[in-house]
Amino acid sequence: MLRSGTSKASRRNVLKGVGMATVVGASLPPFGVALAQGTAPAAAPKGPKFLEMDGKAKLVVLGDKPLVAETPSAMLDDDVTPIDKFFVRNNGLVPDAPADAKAWKIKIDGEVEKPLEITLGDLMSRFPNVSYKMMLECGGNGRAFFTPEARGNPWTNGGAGCAEWTGVRLADVLKAAGVKSSAVYTGQYGADPHLSGDATKPSISRGVPIAKAMEPHTLISFKMNGKDLPLIHGGPVRLIVPGWTGSTSTKWLTRIWVRDKEHDGPGMGGFSYRMAKTPIVPGSKGDEKDTVILEAMPVRSVITFPADGAKLAAGTRKLDLRGHAWAGESDIKTVDISTDYGVSWKPAKVDPPPNKYAWQRFTASVDLPAAGYYEVWAKATDSKGVTQPFVAGNWNPQGYGGNPINHIRVLVES
Amino acid sequence: MKQLTITHVVVASLTAVVLLVALDRAGELRGPRPGYVPLAKIAPAVVDPDKGKPPPHNDTVADLPDGKGRDTVFYACAACHGVAIIKAQGLTRDLWDASLDLMVSRHHMVPMKPEERTEVLDYLVEQFPPRRKGRSSENPFLK
Repeated sequence: MLRSGTSKASRRNVLKGVGMATVVGASLPPFGVALAQGTAPAAAPKGPKFLEMDGKAKLVVLGDKPLVAETPSAMLDDDVTPIDKFFVRNNGLVPDAPADAKAWKIKIDGEVEKPLEITLGDLMSRFPNVSYKMMLECGGNGRAFFTPEARGNPWTNGGAGCAEWTGVRLADVLKAAGVKSSAVYTGQYGADPHLSGDATKPSISRGVPIAKAMEPHTLISFKMNGKDLPLIHGGPVRLIVPGWTGSTSTKWLTRIWVRDKEHDGPGMGGFSYRMAKTPIVPGSKGDEKDTVILEAMPVRSVITFPADGAKLAAGTRKLDLRGHAWAGESDIKTVDISTDYGVSWKPAKVDPPPNKYAWQRFTASVDLPAAGYYEVWAKATDSKGVTQPFVAGNWNPQGYGGNPINHIRVLVES
Repeated sequence: MKQLTITHVVVASLTAVVLLVALDRAGELRGPRPGYVPLAKIAPAVVDPDKGKPPPHNDTVADLPDGKGRDTVFYACAACHGVAIIKAQGLTRDLWDASLDLMVSRHHMVPMKPEERTEVLDYLVEQFPPRRKGRSSENPFLK
């Protein structure tokens, strides 16, 4: 098979490498000085590494292989997160783009009366197409807030975004296949090859209880913000299980195996996407048998304007800020803002969501009585009265559920 | 008016043929001739299967900090994943130990020999211990 793309891409990389070497060379001291001081290895670059990829903004790269990149808070300011700013989380390799997306096949089998194998083209025309603005959030979002460090990609709050997803309801497809009363859980498979390159091993295979699979916002999605779903986001077709850990929104969807018990694919056991039942000592090994699956994501708020580290002009005494807040299965009831480390709180204005599972815009205006350094804190509370903690609590070895009060740091110049 | 003879026709036709061949050889009648094209290149490329993929990524041993066991760690871990995820961790020995178990049980890592595993564990514990200091340690205004 002709893989012209590979050679093209490698050439691009080589060029990039050359460019980088030139920059490093330029910053080296003159030849004689370098010799006199010995050949110390170049120091690792400080600060985050930014994504360089066609069609994507400069996201913060958390890992190159597999590619994992998060969206800085200030880039989460749009009401609907644009595709280029949307975070990337892969567990395996990215599969080849199909020659004909509409010929992509999805199998529904297991505890169903009539197992289906349906092409994406048929799926699109046979079932009603719906669009919703919904959250997709990595299960490990907020992991970087745990002390000590928990294992995994160190997401701050940027493993989340709210896009408009178009697709067909998974419920409609499951009903067409005739879900048996013995159905308990889904087992979902995608086309992404395992990192080792072994095609016989799924990189990840998660699932959800049948009730969530039948929820009318759970979609087999093929469009993101009105465009064909990009390959890097799971195109041509993926699941969107809104409000739940992102890994249940299987990318490059090929199969839904309806199970008569909780699914046991890779990513369902151990400490993966699980919280400790009995609180454990931070930094300890824990007991993976004493865990429970993390389903809906916790309540979270993110200040998206101004950016953390913003310098405000001398004389600024009022700050108009805004952000987004969301909570897995719930709506946001209130967002409170503090500029005095939680001594006093002021309610922000919270807009209603355009539909269930969308994030909500909050805006507030706070006084900054004098020049100097301020922290602006945001704390969201959901419709069940559940709020954000001051620090990431319930430490667990893989760092799920980290949702402390969000803060930005600003400086009013004097 | 002279009569058009077969001789006239033959002479005119030959002249035209010679002229056309000359112009053709001089490249006046055709566009530039393509160079040699290998067969594979003219095979119909319907779609680029790599379109939309992230750029390829390959780490080298030098991307890990120097230390005893570095090579062993690199070849044990970077066969599957990049070194960035290793360097992002800050774990106790217990958790590094559990991480190696996880790689075998969940991510299809080939189990290491005991002495190799100890070497890998020693390196990871020495290079990437817990280092998080609390939330005020990276203030953007202290640079």
